[in-house]
Amino acid sequence: MSRKYFKILLSLMVVFGFFVSINAFAAADKIVIGHSACLSGKYAKAGEQAIGGIKACIDWVNNVHGGVLIAGKRVPLDYKYYDCESKKEGVTSLIERLITVDKVNVVFAPYSSGLTLSGAPVAERYGMVYMDHGGASDRIFQQGFQYAVQTIGPGTRYHVGTLDMLDHVDPAAKNVALAYEDSEFARMTMTGAEKHANKLGKKIVFKRTYPTGVTDLTPLLSDMKAKKPEIVLGGGHYEDGQLFARQMSDLDINVKALSLIASATLPAFYGALGGTIAEGILGPSHWEYGVTFSPEGAMKVGLEWIGPSQDEFVSLFKKSLGKEDMIPDYHAAEAGAQVLAYVKAVENINSLDQDKVRAALGKLKFMSFYGGWDIDDATGLQIGHSMVDMQWQNGKRVIVWPLEAARGKLVYPKPKF
Amino acid sequence: MVFTLLAGNLIQGLLLGGVYGLATMGLSLIFGVINVVNVGHGQFIMVGAFVALTMFTALGLSPLVAIPVALIIGMALGFLFFYTVIHRLIKAPELTSLLATFAMGILLEEVAKLIFGADFRGYNWGLGKITLAITTIQMSKVYAFIGSVVIALFLYLWFTKTRLGTAIRSVIEDNEGAQVCGVNVGWIYALSFAIGIGLTVMSGVLLTMFIPVGINPYMGGVYTLKAFVIAVLGGLTSPYGAFFAGLIFGLIENGSYTLFALIPGVAPFPLTVSLAFWILFFLLLVKPTGLLGK
Repeated sequence: MSRKYFKILLSLMVVFGFFVSINAFAAADKIVIGHSACLSGKYAKAGEQAIGGIKACIDWVNNVHGGVLIAGKRVPLDYKYYDCESKKEGVTSLIERLITVDKVNVVFAPYSSGLTLSGAPVAERYGMVYMDHGGASDRIFQQGFQYAVQTIGPGTRYHVGTLDMLDHVDPAAKNVALAYEDSEFARMTMTGAEKHANKLGKKIVFKRTYPTGVTDLTPLLSDMKAKKPEIVLGGGHYEDGQLFARQMSDLDINVKALSLIASATLPAFYGALGGTIAEGILGPSHWEYGVTFSPEGAMKVGLEWIGPSQDEFVSLFKKSLGKEDMIPDYHAAEAGAQVLAYVKAVENINSLDQDKVRAALGKLKFMSFYGGWDIDDATGLQIGHSMVDMQWQNGKRVIVWPLEAARGKLVYPKPKF
Repeated sequence: MVFTLLAGNLIQGLLLGGVYGLATMGLSLIFGVINVVNVGHGQFIMVGAFVALTMFTALGLSPLVAIPVALIIGMALGFLFFYTVIHRLIKAPELTSLLATFAMGILLEEVAKLIFGADFRGYNWGLGKITLAITTIQMSKVYAFIGSVVIALFLYLWFTKTRLGTAIRSVIEDNEGAQVCGVNVGWIYALSFAIGIGLTVMSGVLLTMFIPVGINPYMGGVYTLKAFVIAVLGGLTSPYGAFFAGLIFGLIENGSYTLFALIPGVAPFPLTVSLAFWILFFLLLVKPTGLLGK
């Protein structure tokens, strides 16, 4: 190699080294959370809640916690998100953009099981930790993904508490109907519900699915009415949950208990039904305002506490969205708790290396305002979080199960429409 | 039991079919007169739904009052879009008008999102119910059906008994012949487009009387698809054909569920949705002009 070429090569190496060092410095300067968020489309409501929850906890980490403690230095969190329009094609391209163009340090999945599942292979391809706050389907964690980590509880457990509660108050109510959206999340939820109902000695008298985007459930609900169920477990997402409740009311289908997944728990559910129709409707929830998780409680069960108190979280949530009258629901809480889990994992290992962070998440156990957090190390499935059941009572969401977390008594049987 | 369920579902299907029929008449009218396929059709239904919701929740007015208001808003939108966009596309390639109406739909969605947000909303117009032995029917659904039939009848009389209506029919029949006979075709184009959009927006109000939940800026897409099936079933250029096809579609959609549910191991709902498309497929093979098309 001539002297001239050697000089050129040396110059290139110096320039390359300079940019690498600049990049390393920039990476240490802030930690960027990338999120393919549902700002519009069918999951816009849950998406807005998730963004509020994430911003609230980032605010807490940066301004109360003082930043992420990494290698002896406090580093602030930054949040980069794009609107996936609640569409799979948007999710995959945006996650790729977040990783390759925006160079984020971690990717947060969008809302819903279907969208979470569609984005997982992209994150996997780039070896990027992929944190799931809104995809409850167990199937996401049965694909062998190495970097997917769940904060929301698995779908198969959604109605376990509901059925236990109903069996507790009325063991004689045996006839259960399952009517649900033909979606990944609802299928998984109802598989778990059916299994648990059978275990409790209940009888499944009706089991039918309806397609996503349905606009009229009259035939299905008329069919269900003929089977005379006492307990109805149904729904899929917010849109069809509204339709489900409304058309049960239209057809005068009065049952002892009605529980709807991923819709009844949303604060807007009551108003969207024009009021009284929502009275008495139940919903399984990962978190509700009023649950009593605290540092003292964490200490009692031997878990480390991290994050804001419940009231601090609610206040930061409102500030983050600029909506004083908006109350966070579980979509916000689980997304916020995911920020805390990531921060805790990074602090535990003093590194942003994807494999090390994933390994640290596998070992992590903690409690926050959201409740317990612990994943199955091998699959990434959430195993440490318990659900609650809420019921609409006089226009308010009241936690009715489990008894130790209950803020009110279950209204049973459900008031007639 | 099966017959009871079937009869109940057919009644519900007939009521909904009336609203579907009215919702499609505008699409057929516009295609019949100016040969433009309005891909943004469902978004105009969404506008009507928001008119009903706003008048009910903000002003406390009955959806029945919202019907004429929706017609006026719809016709105003129709004239606006015609003179700004559509009139340039009448002689343009079909793809251009498809893209333009698609863009119109997106524009409406985003404006609605800007004004109302992306939430799913609803209202509760408690008028009571009729309880029959075979089913229970909300009175608001009965009113929606009666409203659809009355509007369709009024339109029929207007088309057949008035000079303006006859002029529109003449343009549907033979554009150039009508022009030779002194019909102001340019004005008929504008008026037909405005009436078509007015009918569509009005049907959005009636639709919320049937299904008063799930009102959001993106609700229109599914109705565009249904309206296309119904329009082709009815003969594409025939507004009356569209109305009757709407009734048939409603009956098929609701009635077939009960029959499919009899087949063991089959999920009836997806089959119900696909059946209308199968019927459309066979109809296009046997009578491509639709039921009442020429």
